[in-house]
Amino acid sequence: MAKNKIMSRLGGAGKATALSRRGFLISMTAAGVAFGFPRSSYAAMDPQAADGVPITAVGDAFEPTMWYWIDTEGRVNVNIIRAEMGQHVGTAIARILADELEVSWDDVRITHVDTDEKWGTMVTGGSWSIWQSWPVYRQAGAAGCTALIEAAATQWGVDASTCTARDGTVTDGTNSITYAELVKAGISRSFTEDELAALPLKPHSELRLVGKDVTALDIANKTNGKAIYGLDAKIDGMVYGVPLMPPTRLGSQVLSIDDSGAKDVKGYLQTLTLDDPSGTVPGWVVVLGETLMAAKWASQQINVEWNAGETAGVSEADIQAKSRELIADASTGAILPTETPDTTQAFKDAADTLEAEYSTATVLHFQMEPLNATVFQNADGVWEIHSGNQWQSLILPTLSAALEEAPDKIIMRSYMLGGGFGRRLNGDYTIPAALASKQLGGKPVKLVFMREDDVQFDSVRSPSVQKLRMAFDGDKQVIGMEHHAAAGWPTGVMAPSFLPKGVNDQPYDVFAIDGADHWYSVGAHQVRAIENELANQTFRPGWLRSVGPGWTNFAVESFMDEAAAKIGVDPLEFRLNHLIAEGYNAGTVPDSVGGASRQAAVLERVAKMSGYGTADLPADTAIGIATTFGQSRQMPTWTAGAVQVHVDRETGTVEVQKMWLAFDCGTVVDPDGARAQCEGAALWGLSMALYEGTEFEDGNVRDLNLGGYTPLRMIDTPEMEIEFIDSTEVPVGLGEPGTTVIAPAIANAIQSAVGVRLRHLPMRPDDVLAALKA
Amino acid sequence: MVNLKINGREVSVDADPATPLLWAIRDEIGLTGTKFGCGIGMCGACTVHVGGQATRSCITMLGDVEGTEITTIEGLDADDNHPVQEAWRNLRVPQCGYCQSGQIMQAAALLTDIPDPSDDDIDAVMTGNLCRCMTYPRIRSAVREAASANRGQTQNG
Amino acid sequence: MFKQICLGILAVGAIGAAGFGVYAYKPAISPVTAADHASFPPEQVEQGRVLVGAGYCATCHTAKGGEPYAGNYAMETGFGTIYATNLTPDMETGIGAYSKDAFRRAMHEGVARDGSHLFPAFPYDHFTKMSDDDIDAIYAFIMSEVKPVRTTQKENELPFPLNVRFLQAGWKMLFVDFGEYETDPDKSAEWNRGAYLAEGVTHCGACHTPRNALGAEDADQKFAGAEIDRWQAPALTAANASAVPWNAAEFREYLVKGSTKYHGIAAGPMGPVVHAGVRELPDSDLTAISIYLADQVGADDSDPADSQIVQASLERNAPDRRYRQAEGERLYTTACAACHYNSQQINAGRPDLGINSSVNQNDPSNLIQVILYGVNSHQGTEGVVMPGFRDALSDDQITSIAAYLRADRAEQAPWEGLRGSVTELRARGPGTH
Ligand code: FES
Ligand code: FES
Repeated sequence: MAKNKIMSRLGGAGKATALSRRGFLISMTAAGVAFGFPRSSYAAMDPQAADGVPITAVGDAFEPTMWYWIDTEGRVNVNIIRAEMGQHVGTAIARILADELEVSWDDVRITHVDTDEKWGTMVTGGSWSIWQSWPVYRQAGAAGCTALIEAAATQWGVDASTCTARDGTVTDGTNSITYAELVKAGISRSFTEDELAALPLKPHSELRLVGKDVTALDIANKTNGKAIYGLDAKIDGMVYGVPLMPPTRLGSQVLSIDDSGAKDVKGYLQTLTLDDPSGTVPGWVVVLGETLMAAKWASQQINVEWNAGETAGVSEADIQAKSRELIADASTGAILPTETPDTTQAFKDAADTLEAEYSTATVLHFQMEPLNATVFQNADGVWEIHSGNQWQSLILPTLSAALEEAPDKIIMRSYMLGGGFGRRLNGDYTIPAALASKQLGGKPVKLVFMREDDVQFDSVRSPSVQKLRMAFDGDKQVIGMEHHAAAGWPTGVMAPSFLPKGVNDQPYDVFAIDGADHWYSVGAHQVRAIENELANQTFRPGWLRSVGPGWTNFAVESFMDEAAAKIGVDPLEFRLNHLIAEGYNAGTVPDSVGGASRQAAVLERVAKMSGYGTADLPADTAIGIATTFGQSRQMPTWTAGAVQVHVDRETGTVEVQKMWLAFDCGTVVDPDGARAQCEGAALWGLSMALYEGTEFEDGNVRDLNLGGYTPLRMIDTPEMEIEFIDSTEVPVGLGEPGTTVIAPAIANAIQSAVGVRLRHLPMRPDDVLAALKA
Repeated sequence: MVNLKINGREVSVDADPATPLLWAIRDEIGLTGTKFGCGIGMCGACTVHVGGQATRSCITMLGDVEGTEITTIEGLDADDNHPVQEAWRNLRVPQCGYCQSGQIMQAAALLTDIPDPSDDDIDAVMTGNLCRCMTYPRIRSAVREAASANRGQTQNG
Repeated sequence: MFKQICLGILAVGAIGAAGFGVYAYKPAISPVTAADHASFPPEQVEQGRVLVGAGYCATCHTAKGGEPYAGNYAMETGFGTIYATNLTPDMETGIGAYSKDAFRRAMHEGVARDGSHLFPAFPYDHFTKMSDDDIDAIYAFIMSEVKPVRTTQKENELPFPLNVRFLQAGWKMLFVDFGEYETDPDKSAEWNRGAYLAEGVTHCGACHTPRNALGAEDADQKFAGAEIDRWQAPALTAANASAVPWNAAEFREYLVKGSTKYHGIAAGPMGPVVHAGVRELPDSDLTAISIYLADQVGADDSDPADSQIVQASLERNAPDRRYRQAEGERLYTTACAACHYNSQQINAGRPDLGINSSVNQNDPSNLIQVILYGVNSHQGTEGVVMPGFRDALSDDQITSIAAYLRADRAEQAPWEGLRGSVTELRARGPGTH
């Protein structure tokens, strides 16, 4: 399937096997494994260490795969290629490995590695990390365990099958020996691919770490100020830079710079006009200072004259009008390979139809740590990029183009991310830092974006317009559905070669349409994804927590309630009637086994938890429901949400009183981490449903800081109940799915509370009032 | 030259008095546990204690804190074991962790002023601290837990 | 501090010029040498140190970044800028050549050693009330403890005829009630002690009493409140607009700590009054001043904590989930409440803005000043600061916060011209307090 191809190229589904093959080439290496290149500073990061410096092996380490080693003290160091941005991803992955390896959790450390080709695609996004790591690290752990048992058996002259391993010790009932001793004695063992494939993995019932409570290894240092983020990077001799950004994201040109006013600012160094062979930051100016404030104060005294790009006058309304125009033109966009993409007949035969338009406003990432990067050329001539980043493999080629250096002369050090949420999938912010350093001959430059700069340079969630249609026959049965969605395309802009083609041979961005290809059986089902060029030219559309499904599901799940109302059926019953695990919606082994029936199950669970339909609620108060499959049909995380709201008819305020969520994510690896991700995701959903949203004005966003941009805060946080379905299926992602159900559940709740239907996000009190008055 | 005491240590900072205290702490004094989020006093990531009061260091000028005693996350407790830190670890509050120095400093100050806070008290005081990972439910619980730990201590000793 | 002390102008024609000449003429007093003030009893020096603090002499006699007491502090009066003189015992440029009598005359009559009249920016109209004993103590302190500094006196920037010192005598004749403080037999000894200090050395009226067109304190409006350097010196009378009356305990706390739970902080021109001195006074004196001032206000001794107004204000603190509806409330909730919130009682470190003087006054200047420029470690409670929001909030945003506090927290009639005041105070820049 086209989607699978993409994901494998992005480091997705198919990649797991590729990674494991590459990973098993080595049987043993010397102690003190080096990552990447010989260099003056430490490349990797141990979130548990006060200085971030990973442990080094004592004695000759046993390194059965590149994913970990065990040293002569029995310590296990697990290599993590994922970025740590709050998911405690290293902890979860290390547990998968440690479980199969049969070591005590106390002996486990993790290392977030720096970039090296050997790691393969480095990306942290799509809620893929656990799903992709699961098979690889299990095999890796099993291989190590097998090798250690065999070594012990050989020592004792017994059959390996009589031996077992537990907590880093092998026994055969009579003898016992620790892994540390075995490693000290020296082990040499390699596996053929067939052997690897044949390695027995533990049954779920014997998992001792997976699914059990644990304290994440990164947490302590996140309570004492010791965790090291990109903004904390310190390089001897570094100077500070702040950007002076051009009037438009693309197409601006510097005409002249007058820095005479800055000459008196103590500590001001110079102003650079960036020359960018990669084309990432056209028209950029960077002001350098001995201190950050010197650079900042100087920048306020510098006059730059620009030629603005074509989008200097673009407004939110322009972008949305463009989307509507594109939707109206049936020749645009890509038609997804759903089961029956041709809906012509269904709508021709329809006894009745329903149609609605949904739209969403521009949303900012506003990750807490503003963008920053520190770049220099080290003594070995290698460019070091010190920054937090989610998709190193995407930006490294761009860095290579910008620096005009071979890829193997560039390395990124993995810092903790003060929030990713998709913003740091796009590593464009490292480019101006690299260019500034390049202009200084490799001198270290720490480029810091003030919040307002960060926001203006954000890869925002594109505003969107969607038109949904449904066809009913004479018996009020659904016979067809259409979903037309237009927005800026993140993947289209940043990784266009990754776009699959639809049935009409047009490319499409899965991240701008996932979710619309739902698991409801609706007869003929057409999903059309349309790229809004004006959006793409005005800004760099971003992947923002839950990406497409964050807004496609607002439309789908609001529309399901509207459809149910149209034919006079309860929304819960209507959904259950159409979540049938048949044909296209039956699901496939292993990732989506069970298909629509699993989605129906979480929906029923959340209905029960919330008392949907049975709770006795006061006036203007109601519970709304919604269900999704999280991120994509390839990796469905079965998700359902219910939200109870009270609507104040006087002021239009929507008070969210309680939220309930149920998930079926297969095996839960780290229960507390899973819950934390779901809490965060659901609250993001709430924030974007009611509070977050800005608009383009004159080519950029209107709200540049918290004075005008108003995300969810403590006071807005409702009570939540979250449950997971017990499952032994493949673990799938949890970073985003919780986000997807909240907005539609709220819209549905508002409708049942006060009878008005809101079709635009965010849903602000004024919108509620206007709808009540209409 | 501005003289102050930070985490019990006397320091003289040679920087423009108009420098935000945040950057003096991070870049001049070298304590990077205090974070930068918004620069306008509305996210709380930069919260430190000045004279025992939670203070947004991003908009506090260095020159205005002459002679004060400042505590940052690094100095909250010698063993990183302030009841608030303990509760934060027990309930695994941090996600990305970036806002948490500020959250913890704000919560510690809250408990000094209001030792047994109600949910309303927590909401009112902690609403100034933004957490983009949305760890709010856990922050709320952890403040309560730290408060009862404090109470336990008082009762026991 | 007092940048706006006004100067008098004299209508010479009102008095026969010759007679005036006799009245105005003051002889020079012979200079003394350093040896003449070689030693003073330590108790007297200590008494002087305390009084110099209580009169916050250093504040007006020390230029920004200059040596203590060496003068040249710029005071912008409504009539032009004048520069404070050198108060160090330097023989030529300071007051080293002043004999004790010359110094007494200066304090009591506003006349320099050489016989020239001093401008009333120097509050001799208050110091005239001080006892010789206290003045001598100040003399002892300056002569023995202050390091002599040679300076070049800056020329005052006053237009003619205001720059004619001789004519100041007429102003004195019209407006100054010379003579030491006279005990009021109907009042307690404490009250009298407080009055002696407040009207004399601490010269409270210099800021808290409105001045007439010629810059003299209006005796009929004693302590009625006045504007000083774009801050409001609140009324110290029954007309004081505070939510909770200023009783003696509150005054005392304020003078000792620079802040009170139920009123607010000493900031702006009041900052140094507390921090650079008044609180040096012995406990008994601070109590005496507090008793005297509380009597001026007419406050009883009830505990403000029990006041209905305080309870009501505490209730208005409760977080409201509809806080986003009005911009002012939203900004307050996100940017201010973390520090200003109170629930069961008012916490010393958490000023409750519903009852705060700055919000309850008829003029928004003090509130705006503090929002814009903050409170540094030497204002309000020592060692505690409030950041200024001048780079963080726009004029509109500050206006909306102030309007919210005024209407919803203090429940007072709106301030007129609020937005304009914000713009004006921002344009003016931070003061030098
Ligand atoms: S960085 Fe100081 S409050 Fe946001
Ligand atoms: S933990 Fe990430 S911002 Fe709070």
